[in-house]
Amino acid sequence: MPIRWILHWQPHQGTVVNSHTLNEISQCVENINGVKDGRWKSTLTFYRPNLRDQSIATDFPRDFLGISLMEQPTKYYFIIRGHKIVVEADSSILTIMEKLQSYKSKVALNFEGVQYKLGDFQLRVIKVVPNQAENLRGILMEIEYLPISSVEKSRPIMEEFIEIWREVLSKKSLPGHFMRAEPNFKEYGLGDTYTPQHTAVQYAAALAQLIASVQLRN
Amino acid sequence: MECVVQGIIETQHVEALEILLQGLCGVQRERLRIHEICLKNGPNLGNVASEVRLLCDLEQAEPSWTVKHIGGPIRGAGADQISVLVRNMVESKASKNVLRMFYTLGYKLDHELLRVGFSFQFYRGAQITVTVSSINKMPKLHATDEAEPVTPGIQMVEVTAPASAETYTEVASAVSSFCEYLAPLLHLSKPGISTGVVPTAAAAAASLMSDGGGTTL
Repeated sequence: MPIRWILHWQPHQGTVVNSHTLNEISQCVENINGVKDGRWKSTLTFYRPNLRDQSIATDFPRDFLGISLMEQPTKYYFIIRGHKIVVEADSSILTIMEKLQSYKSKVALNFEGVQYKLGDFQLRVIKVVPNQAENLRGILMEIEYLPISSVEKSRPIMEEFIEIWREVLSKKSLPGHFMRAEPNFKEYGLGDTYTPQHTAVQYAAALAQLIASVQLRN
Repeated sequence: MECVVQGIIETQHVEALEILLQGLCGVQRERLRIHEICLKNGPNLGNVASEVRLLCDLEQAEPSWTVKHIGGPIRGAGADQISVLVRNMVESKASKNVLRMFYTLGYKLDHELLRVGFSFQFYRGAQITVTVSSINKMPKLHATDEAEPVTPGIQMVEVTAPASAETYTEVASAVSSFCEYLAPLLHLSKPGISTGVVPTAAAAAASLMSDGGGTTL
């Protein structure tokens, strides 16, 4: 599977992310000859424990997430960030979790975006919106380099692309910049060959940063 | 959903059973070595007691995991008429961290066991799996290499077939019909209904062993 980096938009202090920024970013991709190549959607769910005694909530993980990826329709991914756990399972795991009734969905976020083809790269500009709502909560960007599956071997190429991309964006004087919260894949037991589990872990890391920046602003 | 029946057979007759199954199924047997870990939710987690099983297939080069939830049997007058157990069951393949995940979520080990034996999977009116295995307990946590039989000399036979709300009657009928072929060697019934070994097993086994299954039982 090709290597993929996930970046999150970090708004400047005192600013909020909005659809104008999203449109400008999309325009930049098209300006460097990115060709629209379809739409893309994923969903991330925060789970909370179903407890008889709420006072012991701290005994249970607060960062238990689940994510479905459009390109893996029969799979589901769980991440517990604090414990560096990622699990890939069949989608039927959701039925099992429902029957167990020990964890419930707390918040669901949709990632909706447009995919662009740019030579050997595939880019996705993604807006983060709460399920059942329209307000934009964040912007992510996926950069996929199709010829390489090795996390380490792809690093120089990805870094070079990011440099070029940041330069393109800087000309627009947008109120923010893209950052990458690079997780330590080894801590999650993941190897050098890229897999959907690597993607799930990156999404969890990017979300954590988005949430942190919203909390800081608030 | 799945249809299930179980029975027991003396280990000395397992080889005969294998010959019989080979003849009936027309497929090769597969070796079986499954570490079954049964987890229950901790005392404060969830409003109801819940149980989930994690099955680790140790026969593969790279152990593979399955998460299994077994629900209650179907109820009603129709259910009583059926000689096999029809129950809700959901399975999901999962990657290797799944046990650690459930422990972190607050699940506790209730019990674990190691099933060692073989299975046949074939189609005969339904997709049927026959598993013949010894049930082994572990003296130390997760110590599969030190497992010992719970009942030396006795092995468990389980016949299962996946079903749905629309098909369970036909599937149950297919399982029942198949089980009749095994009757001389063992009696299969709903889990929880113990019938012991059958008195004809020794004679049937001897017959099978003497001519490699050519005799019609």
